[in-house]
Amino acid sequence: MSYCVNCGVELDASAKTCALCNTPVINPNELSQKGHKTPFPQEKGQVETVKRKDMGILMTTVVLTTALTCGLLNIFVFPGAMWSLAVIGVCAILWVIMIPAVIYTKQSVYVSLLYDGISVAVYLYMLAYMIGMDNWFWQLGLPIVVWITILAELLTFCIRKLPRSFLTVSLYIFTTIALLCVGLEILIDRYIGAGIHIGWSAVVLTICAIVDIAIITMLSRRRLRNAVRRRLHF
Amino acid sequence: MERRDWYKLDLSAIVYPTLQRRDFSSVYRLSVLLKEDVRPDVLQQAVDMTMPRFPTYKAAIRKGLFWRYLEPNHRPGPFVQKDVQNPCQPMYFKANNRYLVRFYYYGGRIAMEAHHSLGDGTGGMCLLLTVTATYLRLLGHTEIENGGYVLDINEAPGAEELEDAYMKYANAKVCPPRPGEKAYRVRGTKEPFYTLNIVDGIMSASEVMAVAKRYNATITEYLNAVLLYALMTKQQKDWHIRLKPVKIAMPVNLRRFFPSKTLRNFITMIYPGIDPRLGDYTFEEIVAHVHNYMRYYINEKFLRGDITTNAETQRNPFIRVVPLFIKDFVVKSFYARVQDRNSSAGLTNMGALKVPEGMKPYIERFDICMGQPFSTRTNCAIISFEDTLTINFASSIIEADVERYFFRKLVKDGVHVKIESNRCMDT
Repeated sequence: MSYCVNCGVELDASAKTCALCNTPVINPNELSQKGHKTPFPQEKGQVETVKRKDMGILMTTVVLTTALTCGLLNIFVFPGAMWSLAVIGVCAILWVIMIPAVIYTKQSVYVSLLYDGISVAVYLYMLAYMIGMDNWFWQLGLPIVVWITILAELLTFCIRKLPRSFLTVSLYIFTTIALLCVGLEILIDRYIGAGIHIGWSAVVLTICAIVDIAIITMLSRRRLRNAVRRRLHF
Repeated sequence: MERRDWYKLDLSAIVYPTLQRRDFSSVYRLSVLLKEDVRPDVLQQAVDMTMPRFPTYKAAIRKGLFWRYLEPNHRPGPFVQKDVQNPCQPMYFKANNRYLVRFYYYGGRIAMEAHHSLGDGTGGMCLLLTVTATYLRLLGHTEIENGGYVLDINEAPGAEELEDAYMKYANAKVCPPRPGEKAYRVRGTKEPFYTLNIVDGIMSASEVMAVAKRYNATITEYLNAVLLYALMTKQQKDWHIRLKPVKIAMPVNLRRFFPSKTLRNFITMIYPGIDPRLGDYTFEEIVAHVHNYMRYYINEKFLRGDITTNAETQRNPFIRVVPLFIKDFVVKSFYARVQDRNSSAGLTNMGALKVPEGMKPYIERFDICMGQPFSTRTNCAIISFEDTLTINFASSIIEADVERYFFRKLVKDGVHVKIESNRCMDT
C-alpha cells in the first residue's frame, strides 16, 4: 500500500505514478514485486465502425442492373443508335460518386474528387464519340471539367486545412465562384474563337471581390468581427 | 398487452442524438464489481435472458422526418466483450448491430454502457442490476429475490416503465425562465481521439458523512462544495483576464418528487454555483451557499416549473413541424453556445444504492462514470454501496488539476481516499 507524498491519497498497488500529480511512486518494501493486477484493462478499445456493406451491394446492384437492362434493350428491342451508352455512362458516374459514401469510406476526399472529375470527363468523351464530333470535347468539355476539378480540390483543401469559421469559409466560396466564372468565360470565348474578352464574368468577379474585401476587413478587425458575430449569432 | 413497435423519444432523449459527433456520444457507464471473477459465457446468457424485459434498451434509434424514434431491435446482440482501457467510446447509431448498449467484463467487474437517449442512470441501473441478479442466479445463487432495481425478467414490461414521464408532470401554469449566465470553463490540453481519462476515488461513506455533518451539510452538498472549491482554486491559479462564475451542472432524479416508475430519462438540471467576482469565498461559505441553494431549488414546485419550461418547446406546434435536420442544427448550436457554457463541470450523485439482501454478499462496490464531456472539462459521478463511496472523474483533457484539488481537499478534511486510474497504467 503506497501513498502519494504530495496528495496524501492511497494509490493502487499497480500505480507507478500518482494519477493526480504524476509524482513517481517508490515503495522500498515492494521494489521486487511486479505484476499487480491493474484496476483498468491494458487493452485500448476501437470505436465500432458502421457497416455500409449491404447498402454498397444494394446500390451497386441497382446501378449495374439499370446499365445492363438498358444495354440489352438497346441491342434487342430498340436497335439503331447507341443511346444506352448515355445511360450506362450516368450509372458509372453515380457509382464513382457513391464509392466514398457506401463502398470504401476511407478513401481520401481529394482522390474522390479526382475520380469524380475523371468519370465526368470520360462520360463527356463517350458522348462526343457517340455523336461523332469530338472537337467540342477537347476544346471546351475537358478544360471545363479539369478547371472545376482543380477548383473543387483547392476549395476542399482550404476548408479542411486553413482556419475555418463562418467568415473564412464564405471567403473561400466567393473566391472560388469568381475564379470559376472567369475561367468559364475564358474557355467559352476560346472555343467560340471570338478572342478572349472578359464580360459577364467581370460582373461576378467585381461582386465577389467586394464581398471578399469586406470579409477580409471583418477578419482583420476584431471589433468589427465581434460586432458581426453579435448581430448574426444564432 | 399490446405489442409496441416504436417509441417516441422522451424530452431529454431528443437532445442527446443531436450532439452526436464523430468523437462524441452521450454515453454513460455503470459498473458493478463482484467479489469473484466474471464468467463471460454465463454473463452473455444473463444478458440474452434480461434484454427482452427492457424493450426501450433492446432498441435502435431511427430518424423520422420531424423527430427521431426508438424501434425494437431484433438483431443478434448485444454481445458481452472484454473491457477496454478507454471506456465510453462514441456509439454510432448504425454500428454494433444498431444496439445502443454495451456490456463489458474485466476481472470481477460487469460494466454497462448505454446511450443517454435510451434512459438515465436509474433506468440503466435497473438493467445492470437485473442482468447481475440473473447472472448470479445462473451461477446457482437462486436465493436472490427481485425488488428495488432488480426487476422480474419473467414479467411483461409495464406501461409505466416505458412512459415519457416529463409530459405527464410538465403541467405548471407558468414557464420560469432558464438561468443563462456563462460560467468559467476549465482550460486544458485536449487528449487525442479517443482517450478518456478516469480517476476513481474510493472512500468510506461513513467518513464522508461525518465530515459533511461537521459542515452541517449532506454528502451531496458537501461534495458539490468541494468540487466548486476545486474549480474556484483552478480558476484562481490559471491565467485569466477576468473571473467568471463557477457553476456545476447537477442532474436531479425527478422520481424522488413525482411518482413515476419510468426506466427512461426523468431528470432535470440544477446549477449550484458561486461568483468569485463578488469576493473570496471560504470553504464554509461555499458549503452554506450550496446548502441553501439546494434547499431552495430542489422541491416539487420548482422542478415542475423547470420541466414545464423544457416541455413547452417540444409542445409548440411551430417547432414540431420543423424538419429534423433544421432542429438538429438549432439544438446543437444552442447546446454548444449556451447550455454547455452554462456550467464549469458536471456532477451527479446516484446516492446510496439499495440491492436485494440476497445479492449483497457477492458485491464489492459500484462505479458510475458520466462519460466523455461535450467540451474540455471534467465530469464527476458519485455512487455509494454499503460503506464504500466511489467518486469518479472522467475528462478528455491531459491536466488533472481539478481532480487533484478535489481529492486533496478531501484528504485535508480527514477522509481516507484510495485512487484508481487509467492515467498511469503499467504498459
